Amino acid sequence: MATTSASVFNPALALNNYSKEQLHVAFTSNLRMSTSCFTKFQLKHFSSSLIPSQSTRIPICAATSPTSPSETTATTFHGLCYVLGNNIDTDQIIPAEYLTLVPSKPDEYRKLGSFALIGLPSTYETRFIESGEVQSKYSIVIGGENFGCGSSREHAPVALGAAGVKAVVAESYARIFFRNSVATGEVYPLESEGRLCDECSTGDVVTVELAKSLLINHTTGKEYKLKPIGDAGPVIDAGGIFAYARKTGMIPSAAPS
Amino acid sequence: MPTSTIAASGSTPFIIKKKELRVSTFSSTSFNIIPKKRCSKKVVSVMTPTQSQRPPSTTGSVKTALTMTEKILVRASERSALVPGENVWVNVDVLMTHDVCGPGTIGIFKKEFGENAKVWDREKIVIIPDHYIFTSDERANRNVDILRDFCGEQDIKYFYDIKDLGDFRANPDYKGVCHVALAQEGHCRPGEVLLGTDSHTCNAGAFGQFASGIGNTDAGFVMGAGKLLKVPPTLRFVMDGEMPSYLLAKDLILQIIGEISVAGATYKSMEFVGSTVESLSRMTLCNMVVEAGGKNGVVPADSTTYKYLEGKTSVEYQPVYSDDKARFLSEYRFDVSKLEPLVAKAHSPDNRALARECKDVKIDRVYIGSCTGGKTGFFCCGKTFPSIGKKSFISLVFLTIVFLLTGKKDKVPTFIVPATQKVWMDIYSIPVPGSGGKTCSQIFEEAACDTPASPSCGACLGGPRDTYARMNEPQASHIMSMNCLFSVCVSTTNRNFPGRMGYKEGQIYLASPYTAGASALTGFVTDPREFFAVTEDK
Repeated sequence: MATTSASVFNPALALNNYSKEQLHVAFTSNLRMSTSCFTKFQLKHFSSSLIPSQSTRIPICAATSPTSPSETTATTFHGLCYVLGNNIDTDQIIPAEYLTLVPSKPDEYRKLGSFALIGLPSTYETRFIESGEVQSKYSIVIGGENFGCGSSREHAPVALGAAGVKAVVAESYARIFFRNSVATGEVYPLESEGRLCDECSTGDVVTVELAKSLLINHTTGKEYKLKPIGDAGPVIDAGGIFAYARKTGMIPSAAPS
Repeated sequence: MPTSTIAASGSTPFIIKKKELRVSTFSSTSFNIIPKKRCSKKVVSVMTPTQSQRPPSTTGSVKTALTMTEKILVRASERSALVPGENVWVNVDVLMTHDVCGPGTIGIFKKEFGENAKVWDREKIVIIPDHYIFTSDERANRNVDILRDFCGEQDIKYFYDIKDLGDFRANPDYKGVCHVALAQEGHCRPGEVLLGTDSHTCNAGAFGQFASGIGNTDAGFVMGAGKLLKVPPTLRFVMDGEMPSYLLAKDLILQIIGEISVAGATYKSMEFVGSTVESLSRMTLCNMVVEAGGKNGVVPADSTTYKYLEGKTSVEYQPVYSDDKARFLSEYRFDVSKLEPLVAKAHSPDNRALARECKDVKIDRVYIGSCTGGKTGFFCCGKTFPSIGKKSFISLVFLTIVFLLTGKKDKVPTFIVPATQKVWMDIYSIPVPGSGGKTCSQIFEEAACDTPASPSCGACLGGPRDTYARMNEPQASHIMSMNCLFSVCVSTTNRNFPGRMGYKEGQIYLASPYTAGASALTGFVTDPREFFAVTEDK
């Protein structure tokens, strides 16, 4: 894995002149893992780069104080955030016309990612995915109440995950979306204490620290408490309900190839 | 590993495997780890065998008085007691999927259980293509082929196939909208657990069963292994009072959603009881439970339910009912006689408004269809059609009443998409009482509606660009109205989020068939009472 240290290339960080550890983030050139096993949660592979991506997203903060490998299984997300309001329904996340794409087929999985949040009305002036791009530069989505309401389409958390979203931080969730996020392991559905969508703006640089249940907004310099992920965490960490069921001896281990 | 077993009995101690304790309380979801095999027949002990008969509980006092939802889950999980918030492993009676989510579910099933794995029960899976059918979109057509291949491999008993897209009637097995087809084909039975890869699976709660929507991954899991659920607490809605002639179940559910909001019932069960409920479209009520965030809806089964099921199913069923002392999270009471026709304005199902207050809203079109509004109704509306002996009735017929009463023609394009083949045939064959022997189709024609289309989900959710009645571009004629440049549609469907029916800025007003019909006749959102004689209709 090649890393290039480019400590001040991010204008946002430079502007704030932080002397904190974030300035020493190691930039990796790309972050996407192979999408052939979509049920595996991408976070486990956050430090490996397999597929070149066009985006210049800030990679996950991996080079802060040295931590032992066993502590760093997907405990931190770092990147730009995209801010949404209340009741972001599944038709906005992935409009119905794209549902002919089957998420379990790798090339269609990627296509779904390219259409993530394309259903947002034009009141959202900054688009989630820039035209011509197939992934988003925003890896953390911040929402208000009842995120993911509407349909049961699993294509919704899948599209977000395929687009590069690592975590959603919302005030509250609709149940099917939450459950689908956990079952697929595609995005971490985190709940905030209070309305982060009023506090953060699209493009802010944020870090989510799972172990501390904390969201740090580097652009504004504020920190926010999150509700602990709780028992859904082990399922997402394992890579979704199947991986978890295997790990815990529920169903036979190793999918027959 | 457990080393001893205790046979389950009514007063069996509530034993928990050690492993469960570690993960027994998710904040929002539930993932238990009891191996299915062990759970299905015996209660297994890993703690020191207790001498006492009193069930030790981990989450608080054990309730003995249960709500309907709790009872259904108790039975399906072969346990003796449950409390809301608990995780249980339930046996699923029916798993439904369709052309949008089926291929993904199948992909997951094969990947996780193996290319040659067999489904858990070939008779308990019902596969219903219905969403994107009458389209030239290649992927959509391919998805139906994927379903067919899987059903062939697995010898799935219930697959309502369609091959000839040019003429739906040339497909004897094809049904149409999955939720209506499930009901019509006798797959909805009181007391059972039905899961489907569609949020409106809650529709089947009308039959007094637990019915809820799940995603592809959970469904893939069910296909092979069984399912885990969290027990939802129940909200109770008591509706009493004489149902006015101009009101339909849609108005009631819009009232409720407007009251509690789109997240008012998140993770909860919604139970509908009361004298009014017995005589209205229970499926419409339960269908939109998900729009309030609800996990499932239930209506107690009664003689109407049993009559409807006669001849449709040979599977034995056992209804359950909430105990008198069952505890509900909240109870809401409505005097239906005081309600008025409602709409849900764009862009949310809880954006409730009185139809009469929207009479200045100019509209471009009316859409009648979907599992909510294009189906075979559950009851005869006895007041309006006292002579009808039929068990089921077409809610579309309600629409014809409006047209009949006025003898007018639609001012705006009116699209009619029957939910299933059966509904389509009913429209063309059943004479509407009071019309002098005309069928619905004739009445629609005389009112200048569009010819009823091939049955499917249609434009309720937009779909591929060539879907019939999809909202594709704004109407130029709209410049003068307050909704300048935006298309406005009054629809009997269930959701009106931005872009739901296609065009992102299109405005969708959800309404009952009466309100939709009245609006079609005036070209504005219209309270159906404009066309009804407001007399006591006994």
